[in-house]
Amino acid sequence: MATHARTAPGRPQPTRRGVLAAGGALAAASTGLLSGCGDGSDGGGGEAPFRAAFTSGGSQETLDPHVAPNFVDQARAKALYDTLGTYADDMSVRKRLAESWESNAAGTRWHIRLRQAEFHDGTPVTAEDVLYSYRRAADPDTGSPSQVLLSAIDFTASRADGKRSLVLVLEAPNFEFPTVFAGPGTEIIPDGTTDFRKPVGSGPFTHVSFTPGGTARYRSWADHWDGAPHIAELEIVPANEESARLNALLSGQVHYAADMAGASVERLRKAESARLLTSKRATAQQLLLRTGRKPFDDPRLVRAVQLGIDRAALVRIALAGHGEVGNDLFGTGLRGYPGGLEPRERDVAEARKLVKQAGAEGLHITVQTSAVDAAWQPAADLMARQLREIGLRLTANTRAASTYFSEIRTKGVAAFNTTSTLPVSDFLQQRVRGGAARNQTGYRSEKFDRLLDRARTTRDEQDRLALLARAQKIARDESGLLVWAFSDAVDAIGRTVRGLRAAPPNSHDWARFDRVRID
Amino acid sequence: MRGYVLRRTLLAVVQCLVVLVAVFAVGSLLPGDTADVLRGELGTPEQVAALRSRLGLDEPAWPRFVHWLGGLATGDLGTSLTTGVPVGDDLGRRVGVTLLLGVPALLLVTLLAPLLGTVCGLREGSRADRAMNATAVLLHAVPEFVLALLLVASVSLAAGLLPATAIGMDTGALLAQPSVLVLPVVVLTARHLCDLARQIRVSVAAERHGPVAEHLRLLGLRERTVVLRHVLPNALGPAAQQYARCVEGLLGGAVLVEAVFGFRGLGGGFVEAVENRDLPEVQAYALLFTGTAVVVNLLGDLVAYRLAPRREVSA
Repeated sequence: MATHARTAPGRPQPTRRGVLAAGGALAAASTGLLSGCGDGSDGGGGEAPFRAAFTSGGSQETLDPHVAPNFVDQARAKALYDTLGTYADDMSVRKRLAESWESNAAGTRWHIRLRQAEFHDGTPVTAEDVLYSYRRAADPDTGSPSQVLLSAIDFTASRADGKRSLVLVLEAPNFEFPTVFAGPGTEIIPDGTTDFRKPVGSGPFTHVSFTPGGTARYRSWADHWDGAPHIAELEIVPANEESARLNALLSGQVHYAADMAGASVERLRKAESARLLTSKRATAQQLLLRTGRKPFDDPRLVRAVQLGIDRAALVRIALAGHGEVGNDLFGTGLRGYPGGLEPRERDVAEARKLVKQAGAEGLHITVQTSAVDAAWQPAADLMARQLREIGLRLTANTRAASTYFSEIRTKGVAAFNTTSTLPVSDFLQQRVRGGAARNQTGYRSEKFDRLLDRARTTRDEQDRLALLARAQKIARDESGLLVWAFSDAVDAIGRTVRGLRAAPPNSHDWARFDRVRID
Repeated sequence: MRGYVLRRTLLAVVQCLVVLVAVFAVGSLLPGDTADVLRGELGTPEQVAALRSRLGLDEPAWPRFVHWLGGLATGDLGTSLTTGVPVGDDLGRRVGVTLLLGVPALLLVTLLAPLLGTVCGLREGSRADRAMNATAVLLHAVPEFVLALLLVASVSLAAGLLPATAIGMDTGALLAQPSVLVLPVVVLTARHLCDLARQIRVSVAAERHGPVAEHLRLLGLRERTVVLRHVLPNALGPAAQQYARCVEGLLGGAVLVEAVFGFRGLGGGFVEAVENRDLPEVQAYALLFTGTAVVVNLLGDLVAYRLAPRREVSA
């Protein structure tokens, strides 16, 4: 059993694939020849609720939208609440509750106008609600994934200058600030909310019932500013075991099954009763080399590993072909990703030479891995074989999934990691900048940091993106954060479901159940 | 008998305490704590520290354990570190689901195993006997989750006869649609039923051919009397202990069956509690499982003692 959910911007949450690793494969094998049907009671009509199955666990299991680390938390928050902005597929920001935003020439004061919208209790959404929500999410004690971004706001200087108009004052100029409007954990809640047992938001669904670890029930809200949902009721049900989600979908018990992988995907591909939603390149597969520590403080060794791994083979074997090769940079296809980069070609001779120059022949390196992502273990095995050819001996150390990320923060010199789609500028600020809270490689470069600072204070979008591109090219070679591949994120829907398309996690259209129709 | 009961009961309490201490010690040694798990990768060290102090996890471990034990004495199982909900509430919600799986499974085993075992024991080598043996061997060769997935694939997905999973169903919903329980109960029962039946079969066969039975027959007692009065009581004695073990097996099997069929029962709850490093929850589950195992074993031994006092079981 045991597959955890997937985290919002960061990690695919530990997949509890442990106990039943072969589960999906077996289901696939045993049902391959059979026609998967046997519809449940629902399917037609508008009466039965739309049911979506997600992995859960590893979170506080609350409807507090500011504490939403996992995908299931995000899906639940999306139903109840709205944010000021929202991410398009390329992680650029679109307007949502905000009607407009603009900054002063310095990029320190952001003037935001809100559209006319109401909370479920009939009170209007006001500037005070926004200030309260942001102040709450900026408090480290709350636990919002966007806390770092929000803490750039000077709340003593920021104020409402009208019922639906406010000014956010930043402590330092930032023209990429609007990314925070769509950040997870920045949902707008009524001023003064501290209790989420009967949550009130301005989202497309109203709360009916929820028990931690159990089913969340919602009802369509006719008065939503963006139009009422097409389905009358929504249920988000937890099911940690992938084969349980698969079987529930195939038998028509649920309409949506999140997070399918490997054999389940193959099974669904053949099924007539279901359809796959495959979001290409949704997850950046990374190998983190701790450049702040021996032996990877030697740039020759970082370069040797970059040249020594065979990315195409890794995609073919570790990802079973469900992905594409990475180019050591996060964010292929996203806004701000630099164009025109040469792909990294494997060069065993050069890599071997670098290892020799660094005096590291036969060096033992331990890479941290876990069951968080099913691809890591095979990837580690394959990399060990590939790096042996350049004179490095890689061995894997498997750690417990649920505490993996806190452990690798301090332990080891190399580790696997994954990141879902998020804005490129946020990624660079929070994971690559020297001393950033989520910088796990210990990379520090004044040149890189200066370029980021200049980008932040540059008003013109094209100039800004050009600076970000320059910064990324430096980080690509030096940071020790190797993106060896991008893997697909796969959800699946029943054949009667309309109105959902494949969209990257964290983006607007992902798990957008208010646009769903059932035939 | 009374001294034996008293001795065993006292021992049971000590056993539970030892398990609790061990579980707490091991739980504390696991890497990371609830704050690490809940904040995950996205949490900054500052956020993790804030949560840790809010949960009281920055305090030393043993005083927390003693505090929890103190609460236990007054019937308070503590509060979940993960959800902030009383542990008792969580267990209460889940116990119904597990009972709905466990009780029918246990009833089936209780009723069918003696019947099957006796019939086969009395007719060694018959077609029924051979069929049961073959089935038992087969079930031992097939892991429970494989059996579960095979049944779902054939009975639910292909034939559409029974629901495939219990996703999103609480105790009330399960009671309203008991057909959901059929496949999981079959999976849970199958192997234990065969195990117990085989044990009874062997004992019945042995007792039937034993010198005592022969003697009684020579005394002119009817075969039925020999079987009911002598063979069965003697054969069921050792079976009572195997039966107790089968209850534990059902608890363990429930973890797997719950996962495959998507039940929100005790098994899944326990696994989640461990993953979340939620020690109050882990301890409550450990207490419940140990307590059940100890009590059931105690009852098994007492029944065995009662059925055949000379076979006193060493505690």
